[in-house]
Amino acid sequence: MSTAAIKVSAPPPELERIPLVENQRSPGWITDKVAGVIEGKTPVWWWCAFIPSLMLVTMLVAMILYLVTTGVGVWGLNHPVMWGWAIINFVWWIGIGHAGTLISAVLFLLRQRWRTSINRAAEAMTIFAVMCAGIYPVIHVGRVWFAWWLFPLPNSNSIWPQFRSPLMWDVFAVSTYFTVSLMFWYVGLIPDLAILRDRSTTKARQFIYGLFALGWTGSNRHWSNYEKAYLILAGLATPLVLSVHSTVSLDFSVSQLPGWHTTIFPPYFVAGAIYSGFGMVLTLMVPLRKMLKLEEIVTMRHIDLMCKVTLATGSIVGYAYIMEYFIAWYSGNPYERFTFWSRLFGKYWYGGWAMLVFNAVVPQVFWSKKVRHNLVAVFIVSILANIGMWFERFVIVVGSLYQDFVPGNWGYYKPTWVDVCTFLGTFGLFFTMFLLFIRFLPLIATSEVKGVTPQADPHHPLGGAKGKEVLHHAG
Amino acid sequence: MNSSSKSYGLIAEFTTAADILHAAQKVRDAGFSRWDVFTPFPIHGMDGAMGIRNSRVGWFSFLGGATGYTSGMLMVWYMNAYDYPIVIGGKPMFSPFYPFIPCFELTILLGAFGAVLGMMFLNRLPRLHHPLLKNRRFAQATHDKFFLVIECDDPKYSEIVTRKLLEATGSQHIELVED
Amino acid sequence: MSTLSHSGGLPPLDLSRWSKVPGLLIGAGVVLCLIGALLNLKQFGYSWLLAFMFYLSLVLGSAFLVMMHHLFDASWSVGIRRFCEHLACLAFPWMAILFLPIALLAPKIYPWMSLDPAQDHDLAAKWPLFTKPGFYLAAVLCFGAWALFTSRLRYWSLKQDEDGAARCTYKLRFHSSWGIAAFAFTLTLAAIMWMKALQHQWFSTMYGVYYFAGSVWVALATAYAIAMILDRQGLIRDIMGAEQYYFLGSLMFAFTVFSAYIHFSQYFVIWNANMPEETFWYVLREKGSWFAVGLVLIFGHFLVPFLALLRINVKLMFKFMLPLCAWIGLMQYVDLSFNIMPVLHPNGVALQWVWLDAGCLALMGGVLAKVFVRDLNRHPAYPVKDPRLAEAMGLYPEVPKAMAEEELTQTGKLSGAQPHSRGGGR
Repeated sequence: MSTAAIKVSAPPPELERIPLVENQRSPGWITDKVAGVIEGKTPVWWWCAFIPSLMLVTMLVAMILYLVTTGVGVWGLNHPVMWGWAIINFVWWIGIGHAGTLISAVLFLLRQRWRTSINRAAEAMTIFAVMCAGIYPVIHVGRVWFAWWLFPLPNSNSIWPQFRSPLMWDVFAVSTYFTVSLMFWYVGLIPDLAILRDRSTTKARQFIYGLFALGWTGSNRHWSNYEKAYLILAGLATPLVLSVHSTVSLDFSVSQLPGWHTTIFPPYFVAGAIYSGFGMVLTLMVPLRKMLKLEEIVTMRHIDLMCKVTLATGSIVGYAYIMEYFIAWYSGNPYERFTFWSRLFGKYWYGGWAMLVFNAVVPQVFWSKKVRHNLVAVFIVSILANIGMWFERFVIVVGSLYQDFVPGNWGYYKPTWVDVCTFLGTFGLFFTMFLLFIRFLPLIATSEVKGVTPQADPHHPLGGAKGKEVLHHAG
Repeated sequence: MNSSSKSYGLIAEFTTAADILHAAQKVRDAGFSRWDVFTPFPIHGMDGAMGIRNSRVGWFSFLGGATGYTSGMLMVWYMNAYDYPIVIGGKPMFSPFYPFIPCFELTILLGAFGAVLGMMFLNRLPRLHHPLLKNRRFAQATHDKFFLVIECDDPKYSEIVTRKLLEATGSQHIELVED
Repeated sequence: MSTLSHSGGLPPLDLSRWSKVPGLLIGAGVVLCLIGALLNLKQFGYSWLLAFMFYLSLVLGSAFLVMMHHLFDASWSVGIRRFCEHLACLAFPWMAILFLPIALLAPKIYPWMSLDPAQDHDLAAKWPLFTKPGFYLAAVLCFGAWALFTSRLRYWSLKQDEDGAARCTYKLRFHSSWGIAAFAFTLTLAAIMWMKALQHQWFSTMYGVYYFAGSVWVALATAYAIAMILDRQGLIRDIMGAEQYYFLGSLMFAFTVFSAYIHFSQYFVIWNANMPEETFWYVLREKGSWFAVGLVLIFGHFLVPFLALLRINVKLMFKFMLPLCAWIGLMQYVDLSFNIMPVLHPNGVALQWVWLDAGCLALMGGVLAKVFVRDLNRHPAYPVKDPRLAEAMGLYPEVPKAMAEEELTQTGKLSGAQPHSRGGGR
């Protein structure tokens, strides 16, 4: 079995890999294409999306003002359900953010080069989603002028915040998450801002992009430190993203309430977060690549791979659901068993089934390549994923609270119009920010995409390498 | 202000990644010290071709992370076990377990700040004025061209010999850049 | 890529004197096991269970690596795929045969089997799973599933060696797809029925994930060690380059962190909620010398490999990695022992029975090693027609010439253009 002269043949044609950038586009072409999105005229659809989004932001501001001036009674919260839509939406939004960090950090560490076409937009999504999420914990405290008690500062009786409460862990986790995500995003943007600076035709553009590009020249001595810093940021963001949703899950699981207290919660929340986040990335990227004509950069291979991640995380969530039901039975604890029975057959039966079907069953259609390559189907599944994940949080929060140990303590929870309008308002905030982002910043990590083209590889024929290590098709 | 006639360096332009890599190897072997390569994206193997040592950003990050973890533990101990101890939920006043999450987050936070600020410090950024940025052709360095620059301050620099060296590397365009 | 291989140039090692080792292990193991079984049958059952769960984690972890290769269409794992298939195929019939003593001694090992369901609510609640037929049916189900997907995965892989047809790849992906689901549930079932059931009153939804994390961790370490040896022998030298070892090392690092995360989460949730029906499990494991074992796990299972693997370059240093792989194996064994043994020895580690633990470990290890080496010698050391083989070796596909030239001329034109050109490369 000597391997001195190993004979290697190319894969069968149907198994050949699709390149990451189609049609062997050159680095120059990629730069022109991505920068062209920002430099071209503002399309009509952008205004059609932007104006309603901005109106929703106005509504959000109005709802928050109403809440602050009147009190949390304007929401549907009442005994025994003291955590309602505010916490559901907080968990939902912050979960969505996780896909961005996963793409930018975890896939980077795993050297998954396909991440480059989608990571910038996904990271932006993370930041805006965390902003939407961050609103809720602040406003749900009721008297927002005391929100500073969450920070490690002594109050007027010199009492410190106490760190045995998971809510304090949340404060640290979410604020760190936002800061590090923003830093990661900005560091990634620096070389691309330099591109825009060097291409700008007006003084104003040149000044603003130039200011934020920090004088980036593309020096290799800089790249060397830059790449190291980027690697470290990825290495730090990976445990961070795990810790954030784990911490969110601890808000529930360190309690003793059936439906909340279960040991699988940390990884199960993380998987669910990534699942919903990839749902959102697909919801955004499927129409965007078409409207901005980026199909050669965000290729079908990217869509295909994202569908696979959605499938994988959806299946992990499915496993966690089954484990929860199984252990509720296995434990023999009547309260556990009752809670899980009520999930499917109680007053909120629709939530239990929605989470089960949309999160664990529906993504299984992605086993089929046909579905993964049907953009309409992908889009629909991605929306269902987000609906399903919202219901998961609804079931966990409301479904575990409304019927606890003593039947005399049972109740029923209904949101009010203020709950609904606040939630819609956060969508407005999210889309306003995202639309501004795609209008003024490169939504594709241009330098990184250029870096994964064969032209960037000095050992590849297209990168200028001459006659070595080139494999020829057998036969 | 410097006199306008002072030169910054010789700049050579290349069109492929392989060309600039080979050119860098030649310049490195010629023993220059004040020179650099400018590329639209990091090129795999360029650090070796230029003879750059492993980046020291990691140390800044490590320092930040260590500070974060210890200051987090000290903070929680001081606030909840020393300055104003209150019994909560039957938990001990201090334990390495319950403050773990805030400490971990502070480790990450300061570690990330260490990495980013360390990178900027090592790169001497932000630097909004650079002689090369005034060169119109150099703007292509962020587009799809590759440049190699040897500074006039380099002890081995000589207008004619250095230009010859760059020509031998196969550059299509060589130019003297003013400071 | 292949030129970066660290073993390149070195002559193959003479491994012939090691060929007797499995036989010696079996011999010594049989003697020790027989003495142990005669002295204390219950202790023998526990020692055997511990060794069995250890090798089972390695076998199942290897199956996971194989299935991940197919599901993610990976290229870096081509080199380790074949011997991971052999490791996975140990599940049936060999692990099933090794399970027989556990099946026979089950009433001695599992306290719940001698309890009356009418007197014990926790047991009655688990009807019909926690009955004798339930126990044996669960075992049949697990081994049946493992037999099916491991044998299918190797069958189509060997078929692929013949012609490299795309059909084989599709078949492998198909068997991985249902296999991964079957894997998840059977692994969980095995962990619950054979390990968690030692204290049937205790429950934790994390337990399957806990066993899974350790399984993949020890499988990665084993894969690294075997790859190093095969590489040194020149069998997979062209496929295993620095990139591949880096990936393996990175995954070892990732699973070091992942299993620590899983352990920590389970402990942390239970510690905080502080409910007696859960805490008793950990209370037992904080008594006597088991507390020290817990500390060994925190530092040895997590901190040592974590710090050791933190630097990128050590992932490529064989002299460093081989002891680390052995250490990971040891820690996985200690971790499982922390799960199993406190039930029998609640006051602390039973050092007087270490020889019996070692005997069971040696006997099983010898048998499995013999089978593995036989399989390894019977087939090519790597999948010779894997569609990602060229990619794994760092070879490039041929560039369509016309396109390349057109692009090159375009770049040529661009070089003279104004830097401010906008859109479409005008």
